[in-house]
Order: sequence, then structure tokens, then C-alpha cells
Amino acid sequence: MTNIATRQGGRPAGAKVSTHRGGQIASVIQWSAERGIFVVTGVLIVAAAVFVQGFASVVNITDVFHRAAPVGIIAVGMTFVVISGNYLDLSVVPQVATSAVILIAVSNSYGLLPAIVVATLVSLVYGLINGVAVGYFKANAVIVTLATTYIGLGVLRWVSGGNIFFGPRGGTIDTLGQLKFGPVPLSALVLVFMAVLLGFVLSRTGFGFALRAYGSNKDATRLAGVATSRVVLGAFLITSLSAMIAGFVLAAFSNTAVSTVSTGMDFGALAAIIIGGNSVFGGRGSILRTVLGVVFVSVLTNILVLTDIGYGWQQVAIGVLIVLAVSIDALARRVGK
Amino acid sequence: MTSLQQHDIASGSLDRMWAIGARRPEGRGLILLVAVVLGALLFEPGVFTAYPATLGRIALIGLVALGLTAVILMGELDLSVASTLAVSGVVMAMIPNLALGIIAALIVGLIVGAINAFFVVVVGINSFIATLGMLFALRGLALVLSDEQPVRLADVDDGVAFGAPLIGPLTPRVLIFIVLLVGLHVFLTRMRAGREFYAVGGNRAAAKDAGIPVTRRIFTGFMISGGVAALAGAINTLERTAATPTAGSTVLLASIAAAIIGGISLNGGRGSIIGTVIGTLALGLLQIGLALAAVQQDIQQIFIGAVLFIAVVTDPASLRAVAANLRSSMGRGGGATAEPMPSSPQPVAHQ
Repeated sequence: MTNIATRQGGRPAGAKVSTHRGGQIASVIQWSAERGIFVVTGVLIVAAAVFVQGFASVVNITDVFHRAAPVGIIAVGMTFVVISGNYLDLSVVPQVATSAVILIAVSNSYGLLPAIVVATLVSLVYGLINGVAVGYFKANAVIVTLATTYIGLGVLRWVSGGNIFFGPRGGTIDTLGQLKFGPVPLSALVLVFMAVLLGFVLSRTGFGFALRAYGSNKDATRLAGVATSRVVLGAFLITSLSAMIAGFVLAAFSNTAVSTVSTGMDFGALAAIIIGGNSVFGGRGSILRTVLGVVFVSVLTNILVLTDIGYGWQQVAIGVLIVLAVSIDALARRVGK
Repeated sequence: MTSLQQHDIASGSLDRMWAIGARRPEGRGLILLVAVVLGALLFEPGVFTAYPATLGRIALIGLVALGLTAVILMGELDLSVASTLAVSGVVMAMIPNLALGIIAALIVGLIVGAINAFFVVVVGINSFIATLGMLFALRGLALVLSDEQPVRLADVDDGVAFGAPLIGPLTPRVLIFIVLLVGLHVFLTRMRAGREFYAVGGNRAAAKDAGIPVTRRIFTGFMISGGVAALAGAINTLERTAATPTAGSTVLLASIAAAIIGGISLNGGRGSIIGTVIGTLALGLLQIGLALAAVQQDIQQIFIGAVLFIAVVTDPASLRAVAANLRSSMGRGGGATAEPMPSSPQPVAHQ
């Protein structure tokens, strides 16, 4: 669909001599909105491998994977909420921390399986509350998930007492968290698995189709007889379950959990989704784009750390990239018309 | 049928109250404020004797919320206020002369607002995302400028003097809040440019057709919210006699919550400065009351979250949406899950 738009925007304009240059600029903009992230990510990785000392070492690559995995898993899930046109799920912050704390604390006392069951139940409750409020009550997703963030963090800190929980050294969680295949840790494989699974759901199932349709035109989708409220609920449930798995991965890596473990991951995940080129207006986007966004942000952050550029500049870079990515998207839409 | 009628009679006065609450966007905020005040009178009268602290707290959240109101009325959002507050505070503390510093801080805020508006109107980005980018970039800038350390104010004495009460118990911060609230209220209700904010938020295309300079109004709105955030940053820096690069991170969510509880619609066109003040008062009193009652901070957060959640799902539009949903699903399910559906226009309103 977007390919057709590119052709329509590019060719007729290019055919007329007077608007020839305008047509070229338009196709450049549209090309960068479509394919930009693929090229930029590739160039960044090659450049880093060549110019940045210590980037291409096994230790460093493992480190990049470890840092990218939790945010990546959240982002892959949250892509569904973004594509449904509901901006983001702020409450992934308490969800990730809660599942991390439950995994360590409950498995310390009752074993691994009960911990996973409890975490899944809690995650479903989050997804249901957010999804029903946004899907059925048509409430604004930012405010709903802001409220559940307040409640969730409050409950978590109250119940956990703000304590840090440690898993037993050499236990199942610890072993899995340290498991590596060459430079690739298990957490990265979990991210790949989630991306493949959710990519299939988004692009190949009826639910994924309905979600994308809803994101691009809410009224038309509803009038076509799709149970749109249920679709939105589904998007929030997927985000919640992904956040739970991200919490597991995070807890397993350090074998510890604390209520502040996931601070900033809400906007971090959203930044990756947007920089990957998913449209924040809903409707357009893919899991592959999200993964590329995650890779790009992680590699960039890693380069800035390796070259001793401070945390402040990292934030500036991410902010500028968000605005840049969305500006290209907005301009491509305009010239595509 | 008879049980339904009885129900109607019993809840008649409640209905009337609800009708007022639903018609005026400030209604639910007012109900909450009354409930909080009553609760405080019953359980924690200390809230009112400790009013200097209460007022200070309210003024901090309220100032940012006032600026946000101007933007949200036009159906836009400004997430960058938190970082604007931090950056302008740092800039102010870096300039040795206090007056020059404050002016520089305000200019920073206005520039940030203009940049936000540029991306929203000229480039055409969704304001939520544009200001999210600014939130990151400015937070980074604050950290870079301050070298990730708190910047001490050169002129500490003036900072201390600023925290002292000026008229009665009112500190300059509270007075600035009151002046700004009156000023913005007059602007949005009595002046042409301000009233046009509602038109821009209600129906942008129609506003444009009616000859309203939409672009200029949006620039004004973002510059108000940027400038007010910078003012809050300057006040914060004065009172603490130092600027922290991470200041404002908790203020953002609290001020959005205050505006929402005050009945402002995120879709634009509905809400008022009075509503935002009511929301701020309710939220501030609730927070201080719970703190004085020695309720743990975690549980205070749960309360605030619950209030916000209730405020957003009891929005009249939300209730209509869920009622329509129920009706359509009952139509499909043939009434198998039937609860009696009242036929009044706002069926779920009794709860």
C-alpha cells in the first residue's frame, strides 16, 4: 500500500519538468521514511565495528545484547498498542518491575512454577484493566496507563517494602540468566523468539489485520463489523505479557529484583518504536521496524558509552532522533498526498 | 418496570447532581474536592492549620498545570514541561546575576515553546511525540550544562528571602500562582485570542475556515506552557538555592493528573482554568492530607492513581461509549446476559 503511494508521489511529479526537483525530493523523503532505518542501522554497525575501539569484541557484543533485550521485548509488545493508535502503555514500568520482583521473591519461597503463575495472573490483570478502560470506555490511553502506573508502583513498593530481592546463586534463574551461546545470551534469543511470534501475529493473523485496520481508520473498521474494543484489549494484553517476560529476563540477568529496576523503560521502548519508523498515528508499522529501532538505539548508546560521551548527550541524541524520525514520517505523508 | 421507577425516584436528586457534574466539565473535580475537604475536616484537620505547606505544594504542581491547560485546550499535549523546568533552572543558576538569570530562564522557556509549536504546526508532527523528543533532548541538555551536578545559586540570600511569606502567609510562589491563574483565566474567557483557543481545540478545520489564525494560536499556547514551566523552574531554583538537572520529573505526571481531574478534555475544546485549579486543589489537599495522616508514600500514590483512573473512566464520553458497547453486545447475545438496561440517556450514571 505504501509502495503504491511512493510511486504515485514520485512518478507523475517527476514526469513534469517544472516540478522535477520537487518530485525528486519527495521520493527521497519517502524512500527514507520507508527504508531509511534499514540503511542507517547497517551503516552505524559497520562504522562502529571499524572506527570504535572495543565495539567488535565478544564481551561488548554480549553486553549490547543484554542491555537491548529487556527494552526490546517491551518494545515488540508495545508496538501493538502504538499501531492501534493509542500512543503507548506507560504502565510497563510497574509491570516489568512487578514481574521481576515476583519471579525472584516468590520463587525463593514457593518455587519457580508458582512464581510464573502469579506473575502471569498479575500481568493479565494489568492488561485487562488498561485494555478495558481504553478499549471499552474509550478513555485516553496515556491517562489510563498513567493512573495504573501510579497504582502499580504504589502497590509494588508497599508490598515489597522497597527491598532488593536476591535469588540463590547457581539456582535455575541464575543459570538461565547467565546462559550464553557464543556471544549471544539467552535473553537475546528470547527477544528474537518474541519478535518472530508477535511479528507473525501482527502480519499474518486476523487479529493483526484488524488491529492495523483499526489503527488506520477506527470508524471504518468498527462499521465493517470488527469488535474493535476487543482488538484494543488484545493489544494491551500482548503488551502486558511482553512486559512480564521482559521483567523475567531482567531479573534473571542480575539474579536480583527491586521496584526501581525498570525506570524510564516506558519512553525508552517508545523511542525505539518511533525511531524504527512505526507511525505514531497508528495503522502503519511492523515488528521488524521495532527490532531495528531497538538495535539502532542500543548500538548508538553503546558507541556513546565506549567513546566516553556522557549520559546527557545520549539523551539529547535520542530526543533528536525521535523528532527526526517522526518529521520524516510526517513529511512523507504530506508529499505522498 | 416498577423497580426501575422506584430506583429513579430514589436517585432523583443524585441524578440532578450528576447532571450538573456531567454538564460542567469541572463537576467531577468539584465533587472530588468536596469529598477531600470533608474527609480532611473529619480525619485530618491539620491540613488546614498547616496551610503554608499545603499552599506551597499546590502552587508547584498548579503552576505547571496552568500552563498545560492552555495547550491541552487546543487538543495538544506538552510533555516537555518537566525538562523545560530543569533546563531553565540550570540556565538561571549558571548566570551570576539573579535578575538576568531569571530573564534568561524565561527566554529559554519561550524558545522551547516556539520549537515545540514549530514541529507541531509547521512540520506537522503529533504534539505528544514532538514534545516527547523535547523531553529527552532537554533533559540531556540540562545534564550536559550542569555536568550532572546540582548548580548552586550564586545569590543564596535572595533565594532564602524568596521563600519567606510576603503578604500574610502567602509566599511569593503562591502569589505568582494566583496572579498567573487570574491572568490566564481572564485571557481564556475574556480576550478574543484566548477564547479562540477553544475553537482551535473544538474543531480545528472549522476554526481555520472561520478565519482564526490557528498557527499563531498554537504558537501562543506552547509558548505559554513553556514560559510557565520555565517560571516554575526559576521559582524552584530560588527556593532550593540550587538547580538540579533532574528536577521536575515528578511534576509532569502530577500536573497532567491535576488538569485531567479538573475536567479538561485531552481532545481539546473543553475545560477551564478554574477546573485545573480545582483539580490541583483536590490533588494537593489529598496528598498533604494523606501525608499528615502518616499514610505511607506508596499508599498515597495508590490513592492518586485510583482517583485519576476514576476521573478518566467516569468521563461522560467514556460512560456513553461503554453503554453503547453494552447495548450492542446485548443485541448480539440476545439478552442472555441481561441486566435491566435503563433507557435514560446516561444509563450508567447512577453509579
